[in-house]
Amino acid sequence: MPSTSTSAPNGLTRRSFLRGASLVGAGLIAGACGSDTGATQITFHQSKPEVIGYFGELVQRFSESRPDVRIRHDSTSNLSAGFVRSSPPDLGCLNFNFEVARFVDRGALSDLGDMPETDRINPDLGPLVDLTASYPGRTSVIPYSLMTAAVLYNRAMFDEHGIQAPTTWPELIDVCEALTEAGVTPIYSTFSEPWTVGQGLFDYTAGGMIDVAAFFQALEEQGSDTGPDSPVSFQKQFREPVERMLTLAQYSNSDAASRGYGDGNLAFANGEAAMYLQGPWALTEIAKTNADIDVGAFPLPVTENPADRKVRVNIDLALWIPEMSPNQDAARELFSFLMQPEIIDTYNADNLGFGVTTDAPEVTHPTLVEVQPYYDRAEFYLGPSQLLPQSIPIHNYAQALVTGADPDSVLRTIDADWARLAFRS
Amino acid sequence: MTAPATPHASTTARPGKGRVNMPVTLALVVCAIAVLVPLYVTVSMALKTTSQSVDGNAFSLPAPFTLDGLVEAWRLTNFPRGFAVSLFVTAIAVVGTIVLSSVASYAISRNWDRRFFRWSFFYLLGAMFLPFPVLALSQVKLTGMAGLDNPLGVAILHTMFQLSFSTLLYTAFLRSIPDEIEESARIDGATTWQVFWRLVFPLLAPMSATVGIFAFLASWNDFMMPSLITSDPAQQTLPVLQSIFQTQFSNNYNIAFASYLMAMAPAIVVYLFTQRWVMAGVTQGAVK
Repeated sequence: MPSTSTSAPNGLTRRSFLRGASLVGAGLIAGACGSDTGATQITFHQSKPEVIGYFGELVQRFSESRPDVRIRHDSTSNLSAGFVRSSPPDLGCLNFNFEVARFVDRGALSDLGDMPETDRINPDLGPLVDLTASYPGRTSVIPYSLMTAAVLYNRAMFDEHGIQAPTTWPELIDVCEALTEAGVTPIYSTFSEPWTVGQGLFDYTAGGMIDVAAFFQALEEQGSDTGPDSPVSFQKQFREPVERMLTLAQYSNSDAASRGYGDGNLAFANGEAAMYLQGPWALTEIAKTNADIDVGAFPLPVTENPADRKVRVNIDLALWIPEMSPNQDAARELFSFLMQPEIIDTYNADNLGFGVTTDAPEVTHPTLVEVQPYYDRAEFYLGPSQLLPQSIPIHNYAQALVTGADPDSVLRTIDADWARLAFRS
Repeated sequence: MTAPATPHASTTARPGKGRVNMPVTLALVVCAIAVLVPLYVTVSMALKTTSQSVDGNAFSLPAPFTLDGLVEAWRLTNFPRGFAVSLFVTAIAVVGTIVLSSVASYAISRNWDRRFFRWSFFYLLGAMFLPFPVLALSQVKLTGMAGLDNPLGVAILHTMFQLSFSTLLYTAFLRSIPDEIEESARIDGATTWQVFWRLVFPLLAPMSATVGIFAFLASWNDFMMPSLITSDPAQQTLPVLQSIFQTQFSNNYNIAFASYLMAMAPAIVVYLFTQRWVMAGVTQGAVK
């Protein structure tokens, strides 16, 4: 049709454009009004991007068994805005961090203590939840998945140089020395992204040396009295861990200061270093580049006593139902559905998480089996970087430390920050 | 993507046209490269596989070439719906901004000697010093109470926040339009509305193009306001939907860039079709 094709570029006139735009608008408004039927509608908020598809299927399955409950699977809405607007999600399934902690502290989340599923939760995890946030007399959040972080190491490289995973600090230094002599970078560090330093070197050395929970409880009680002369302070208790952290940081790749998380995953996957201080979340990223790499994991030994070794954990996903939700019953049903052993266990196995229930099976992932014993014996800690409120930029302080700041002055600053924050609140 | 044809232009400089201004040409080449290189990375990233996209070589050509990123981005953001919502919000914001601020500016500039109008100008300008994050909490609460926690509410707020800057632009421009033109229309019996729509508004066209472009960019690219105001995730705009592609722990560059490309494309396509009108508007204003 050569004769008609010449007029095609002029087909889009202003009038037809406006007509199209108004049609789209009308369609949207009609769509918004048309969804109001007799069914109960609940919102399920779950924003971990890599598992949106998986939870989408679960929600689909639940809807098939309960056609009168409509579920809106939300992964983009702003949580705080929902609470402010008095329309929070009916069931939340999110990372248990300080954002959620705020809602717990203020009693915005309902008590799930009467749910039968609560009794199945591993009792060792209770203190972890309470340390982050709790509301008197309530079980506000139920853990769903736990992440266990340790030092990732390249098994083939360790074998090649006849090295075993170290169990004490002197052994660790020996390993680093031996690798350096063999011309291998011992640790791949990514200092340009502050969080990688905070959750890695900083948390591992502190958690492997001091009792994190006791330290933060004492710090909490001490409040604004924290300072150079108080019984607990970062200047006192964190002095030694930080020194060891700086010793360890010297065994990093020479270009660490300009490397980020993505570079670290790529380099470790390509065998450019023997050890990498990252959690299991990095395993999926590493596998994108090298799916066949044989990775092991061991808790960082920071003292002379092998029994002091612990792994760093964090509650990756936790479930909660807001007090404000008008559909508590439907939300609780979905909660029970998600807590069924076959569903929660499948989720954790697929996503490199550890089971949080007493009936959960052991992990099977070849890397994580190495840290299972520590989890079973409850030899774990929450990273100090997770326990400091976000108004104290601990990751940036950790980055400053590894890039040459004076440890005394940085630790003094953290103490002052803590005291100021306690004074304000 | 056509590179600026400069190298041979200097050798074939025609007499009478003057020589090519090399420093300016070089500066323009640098500017063009600053746009084209990121655009190239966006296009090539969108066509890479996931494993190639994280290999640290942003400039490499896609090998193997794949459309998976585009397909996945289309599916994850529910692209047609997100696009329609973004378009809806932006269209209302652009039209609303142009109409409201031009009307307001006309009223203000022609009644400048009256205190009420002068102060209302300062009042509107005052809004420029109130950034959205300061008002976010109350806006979230108010839109929720008024039933405007949806794209329409976002569009209205976009219009409001664009109003002060646009009024400033229009008011300055209106001062350069002589009163005599309006007086002649009034002698012919035109009412104020007729004077505005038949005479003043067409004269404002170049400024309307500027205001429209600013309003379009602000609205199309905004993240914070829709993410806070819209309560139904099914009615969310594209920038918010795209935020799921990059988190602290994982990178999906190929999917993310595919989605950015799809979000960028309409603006470029619209410009290709309308540049004639945009240019015409500008020259119309230049020759008074």
